[in-house]
Amino acid sequence: MSTAVDTDFTPATTKGDGKKSGHRIQCVVVTPERTLFDEVVEFVALPLFDGELGILPGRSPMIGRLGFGELRTTTQGTTRRYFVDGGFAQVRDNVVTILTNRAIPVAALDLAAASTELEAARARKPAGRIELDEKTRAVERASAMIRAARKI
Amino acid sequence: MAKARAIVKRRKSVQNIRKITRTMELIATARFKKALDRATAAEAYTRKIAELVADLSATAQEVTHPLLEVREPAKKSLLLMLTSNRGLAGGYNGNVIRVATRTLQDYATDGQTIRLEVSGKRGLAYCRFRGLPTDAGYLQFEDRPQFDEVEILANNYIRMFLNGEIDRVDVAYTRFISAARQEAVVQTLLPMSAAQASQATESVRQARPASSAESKGGKDRVPYEFVPDAESILEEIVPVSFKVRLFKCFLDAAVSEQISRMVAMRGATENADDMIKSLTMLYNRARQAQITRELAEIIGGAAALE
Repeated sequence: MSTAVDTDFTPATTKGDGKKSGHRIQCVVVTPERTLFDEVVEFVALPLFDGELGILPGRSPMIGRLGFGELRTTTQGTTRRYFVDGGFAQVRDNVVTILTNRAIPVAALDLAAASTELEAARARKPAGRIELDEKTRAVERASAMIRAARKI
Repeated sequence: MAKARAIVKRRKSVQNIRKITRTMELIATARFKKALDRATAAEAYTRKIAELVADLSATAQEVTHPLLEVREPAKKSLLLMLTSNRGLAGGYNGNVIRVATRTLQDYATDGQTIRLEVSGKRGLAYCRFRGLPTDAGYLQFEDRPQFDEVEILANNYIRMFLNGEIDRVDVAYTRFISAARQEAVVQTLLPMSAAQASQATESVRQARPASSAESKGGKDRVPYEFVPDAESILEEIVPVSFKVRLFKCFLDAAVSEQISRMVAMRGATENADDMIKSLTMLYNRARQAQITRELAEIIGGAAALE
């Protein structure tokens, strides 16, 4: 899907964007199983590993690492929200591609399950560096999930 | 009369079997289409990852990641064998088991300790029969492998590899090359080579060269901004790439299983057709012979009365 669109844009179109595709961005969310979401939107907010990043049309090309958090897209006043489970984002020619293991609509998040997950993650007793990393990740993930679920 | 009736009975049972194999063929065809759709849908991800790796590796020179570390000679190996839960799939399971056994033998002669993991009832049954000790068995992977389930396995392997419990991970599975060609192979997933990381989609690409051939080459270098920087993103991609490759093995295996079942059942249906034909012929002959015999008896009886 996305490559088909990619080829429509000429490479390095940072100048010609305004005329060509209007003030829109194409937002594609890809998981290992399928392309979850592929729409033209006005604004995308990405959860990067160190904080949120807003993307408007005409953004210069970028590749970034995602953290756990909320992905927002806005089209004509309606906002869609997904919880994103790490991954990568690529921005190029007004196409935002999000590669993630999991993207769950925020409405489908289970606050209670996330809370128990957080408890379990906090209770872990890590032995060694690898397990400590795992614990930190699990805690971050669960708390990000709770944050996203509470925001509804 | 007795013989003709016996033949009729046999023909009926063959007809029933034919109905069943024909239905199984149709089911396998439908499942194959679904599995293939899933595999093609999953391709988008691997293609994008490969694209990212290509973009990144142009900037980042050296990637160091513990998963790329080659330990020579490998002392402890893990072999994951992907078989099906159900039989009646022709040579599907046999082929995978054959290549897996060969690898196991090679490792045994090298004096490596082997950890054997098996997915699918068929493979487990084989190991039990042969008395091969399996370290783990999975039955949850049907024709719709979920990434979440595969990820659990992948995380386990990554942890074991990092802890030094295993030095390499091999997967014996049936690679899907095209709808007409599948091949049982043993593929080494860990340690990964940096080149592998970018070639996660290779076999799928070969199957459909037109769609993605130009996506990599021919494009001007895009001046990316990297957040945080190219090296650390690449490092982050390595485990993801491993997971995706493992997932792809499962997807390939699922597609190939349905294809071989389809082919096997088509063969069975055709054989049943042939059998029905020959049985019908036999029945007709027996019936004719019987009529002739009865006629002869009547004529014989009439002649005796004169």
